[in-house]
Amino acid sequence: MSSIQPIPRNGLLWLLIAQVLVILPHLSHLPLWIIGLWIGCAVWRIQIFRMRARYPRAWAKALLMLGAAFGVYLSRGSLVGLDAGVVLLIAAFILKLVEMRSRRDALVLVFLGFFAVVTSYLFNDSLLAGVYSLAPVTALLAAMIGLQQSAAGTHPWPTLRTAGSLLLQAIPLMLVLFVLFPRLGPLWSLPQPKDRGVTGLADSMSPGDIAELSRSSELAFRASFEGPIPDRDQLYWRAVTFERFDGRRWSQSFLSQVPQAPEWLPRGAPVGYSVVMQPSGRPWLYALDVAQLEAGDARLMADFHLERPRAVDKPLLYRATSWSQALREPNAGPAVLGRALELPSEGNVRSRAWAVDLRRQHQTAEATVQALLRHFNQQPYSYTLRPPPVGENIVDGFLFDTKSGFCIHYAGAMTFVLRAAGIPARVVAGYQGGEVNPTGNYLTVRQLDAHAWVEYWDTASGWVSVDPTFQVAPERIEQGLEAALATEQDLIENALLDLRRYRDVGWLNDLRFGWDSLNYGWQRWVLNYQGERQLELLSGLFGKADPRKLGLLMIAIAALLTALLAVLLLKPWRRERDPQLRQFHRFERLLARHGIAREPGEGARDFAQRAAERLPAAAGPILVFARLYEQARYAGQAASRAELRAALGKVRRQLPWRTSTAKSRSGIGRDVP
Amino acid sequence: MRVLPRIRDHWLLKRIPPGPSVRLDQRRIFIMPTAVGMTYILALLLMLIAAINYQNSLAYALTFLLGSVFIVAILHTWRNLAGLVLQAGGSEPVFLDEQARLRVRLESRGRLYQSVSVGWPKSGLQQADVPAAGACELELSLPTERRGWLRPGRLRVESRFPLGILVAWSWVDLQLSTLVYPRPLEGDLPQAGGRDEEGDEGTRVHGAGIDDYQGLRPWQPGDSRKRLNWKAYSRGQGLLVKDFTALAGHDPLLDFDMLDGDIESRLSLLCYWVVELSARQQPFALRISGVSLDASVGVEHRSRCLRELALFGQQPEGQR
Repeated sequence: MSSIQPIPRNGLLWLLIAQVLVILPHLSHLPLWIIGLWIGCAVWRIQIFRMRARYPRAWAKALLMLGAAFGVYLSRGSLVGLDAGVVLLIAAFILKLVEMRSRRDALVLVFLGFFAVVTSYLFNDSLLAGVYSLAPVTALLAAMIGLQQSAAGTHPWPTLRTAGSLLLQAIPLMLVLFVLFPRLGPLWSLPQPKDRGVTGLADSMSPGDIAELSRSSELAFRASFEGPIPDRDQLYWRAVTFERFDGRRWSQSFLSQVPQAPEWLPRGAPVGYSVVMQPSGRPWLYALDVAQLEAGDARLMADFHLERPRAVDKPLLYRATSWSQALREPNAGPAVLGRALELPSEGNVRSRAWAVDLRRQHQTAEATVQALLRHFNQQPYSYTLRPPPVGENIVDGFLFDTKSGFCIHYAGAMTFVLRAAGIPARVVAGYQGGEVNPTGNYLTVRQLDAHAWVEYWDTASGWVSVDPTFQVAPERIEQGLEAALATEQDLIENALLDLRRYRDVGWLNDLRFGWDSLNYGWQRWVLNYQGERQLELLSGLFGKADPRKLGLLMIAIAALLTALLAVLLLKPWRRERDPQLRQFHRFERLLARHGIAREPGEGARDFAQRAAERLPAAAGPILVFARLYEQARYAGQAASRAELRAALGKVRRQLPWRTSTAKSRSGIGRDVP
Repeated sequence: MRVLPRIRDHWLLKRIPPGPSVRLDQRRIFIMPTAVGMTYILALLLMLIAAINYQNSLAYALTFLLGSVFIVAILHTWRNLAGLVLQAGGSEPVFLDEQARLRVRLESRGRLYQSVSVGWPKSGLQQADVPAAGACELELSLPTERRGWLRPGRLRVESRFPLGILVAWSWVDLQLSTLVYPRPLEGDLPQAGGRDEEGDEGTRVHGAGIDDYQGLRPWQPGDSRKRLNWKAYSRGQGLLVKDFTALAGHDPLLDFDMLDGDIESRLSLLCYWVVELSARQQPFALRISGVSLDASVGVEHRSRCLRELALFGQQPEGQR
């Protein structure tokens, strides 16, 4: 193409709109100065278009580029990595707008825009974000179309309509590709976005941490069961165990992170379920006791929690089967039990004395545990997220003075007392309960369902889970945190827009459940449609599926769809709409049956003359028809269709009736004489 | 060396036979990705790699969506030529070194065709929109290189609409042609031009033809630039030339054989005088290698004379 092609107004307009739409979802993780840069550049560009400003000179461009890079370095601390890369990409996307002169520059901008949309998915891949991204993509396509249109006199709306119809027609094909394109594992590892504010359980916990979690109604995970959803008091989701206590905090023991499955015996009825967990930034998976995973790289660790090699940094789907009655580690070794008996060397003297006393009164470990639970039940203990401050010895202070706290206080104190009484015990942290979504028949577990309970070890029964909180606030277990804290509602963070706030309004609540269910489906069917899941799903449909077979199937179906679309778009049945031409083609076919085929490129008159010489009987009508046709076609005299047809009829009557003599040449009836 | 183009031309001749009206149908339209389209595919590959490495379903979805758009765009680009009818329009003869202008009519028998470009690659393509069930006419200009018939050959019709990532094109031969007259060159005619050799003053046609200032008349192709009235032009009265009448008792004879110099400069001189004398409404005769046209005046006479000059020494062509 020659020299510089200017940018049509329509193209520029859609490019500006597309830029706004592309950058909007990035705003949450962009430094503020980018917005300033953006506004400045957009104004500059518009002024250039109105011929009130110049294009930036070379030094100004260089300065802007350097400035942007420096700004990225200042606000992100480096120029590499995903976060810095995205800011750089957006900065380039903004700066290119000012510098853009020709169609080619504008196309570069459009491609940068597509990349920016892709990176926005790395930060947010929710259903809303996915649906929203159709807007910038449509606008970018409209900009591409606008760039091809004639400079003047075009309205922006038809351009958008064309872009929309292109997208709509592409969607069926896209779905085929999406479902059937063989998914590969990552080719090489890339930096992940760090910007996600992840809330969730940590590898060590003081009471304050759980209280903090309990205020968040953020989603932790969702679970679907193969059978009916078990009762709430069965739903103890283990994430991690805390075995070390330093007097203030409970934390994970290094030794329990050995990826060596402990000995256990499945008993009772298994429960099958699948979980989609939100990114937690931790490697643990949440499961009911004792779980076995069907696939994936996660392993059962020495303390019965599931862990995978990498942290969960994007929504993860897994299937598990749990045996809640399983017998766990009846023959635990001294190392394991030793860890479950460790106590700080000093502190909490009153608790230790009380523990020794308690143990002496009861024969068995089980009886001691029951006595302890009874104690929590009968004494005036209360459940609150706002416990009064305790002194240096937190266990003593809680057990004997304040007598109020929440799960981690009860679980921590109980473990301490059991250990002091010589019974191996540890704190289990995870989630308890969840909200049943009646729309999709699955369970939604939020951060506020975070919970801590206790498991102790006994020779006969191995590890046994008990929940002291149940003794104090059974409604916490049976109905959930919000029911247990009816008077402390203000503690739970409920944004005004959070639909949970309006739970009592029936239709709104249904809406909330429906929306949540939609998002869950999105996660399960779209976001987690990767590798194994794809093969598993497609195997169900087509029998054994392997990537090669999928590829072939994909190409076949895509070709079929394209052919279908081609037929719909090009309407071959309407090709010969030209009535004169149709008559002429009939004339041609008629003569071809008598052995006279039109040569390619032979004009109507020459053809007719040749035919007239060969068929003298019909010479007159043939020439009449040819003249009429020529007049209609080239002299602009609209011979009526009836006239032409009548002339053709005369030709036909003059000729003996015959079907095919001369093999009618291919290509007849194609070119226009 | 020239084998390939010849094979191509032969193939095109069979596939798209020449004719004054050509309808673009499926066998006549070719389609390929443009450089932009290749960049687009490259960008899609990068996106696919990002999708694979980040295991991001939405990135996969967008890549596939844009890939599908590419395939849909093939149909749309192709459709933006399919069914378009091109017809040869008329053209006016021009003098050598002027731009030849050939008209082409684009006709739609159905939908709207946007951004269709027509032209010869060497002289640049012209873009137009063809309204639904309507037509538009383009005037294609082409530099003239020699006198005689100008047959620019196959015309390229192309369209990159809607996305610019693909180009659909066709080569049609509308048998367009236009006549190129010789370049008029001012100069003196030899004295003995008259029919009778009496040496009478009135038989002489004065070289510059500046005998008698007659007034101003509108400029027409072939008029001398020296005689343009620039003052009138700057007043916004348009291009006017000063008109002169030469004294002439007898109708002058423009005789090729009486002139000196090489063929082209003789033709140029004759051309100048044909234009000049026609502008003065003065009858004249022309004799050129066996053809002689009797003295006459008028537009028809002028164009017959110019035609003879243009086609001097060239192979006689068919009826056209």
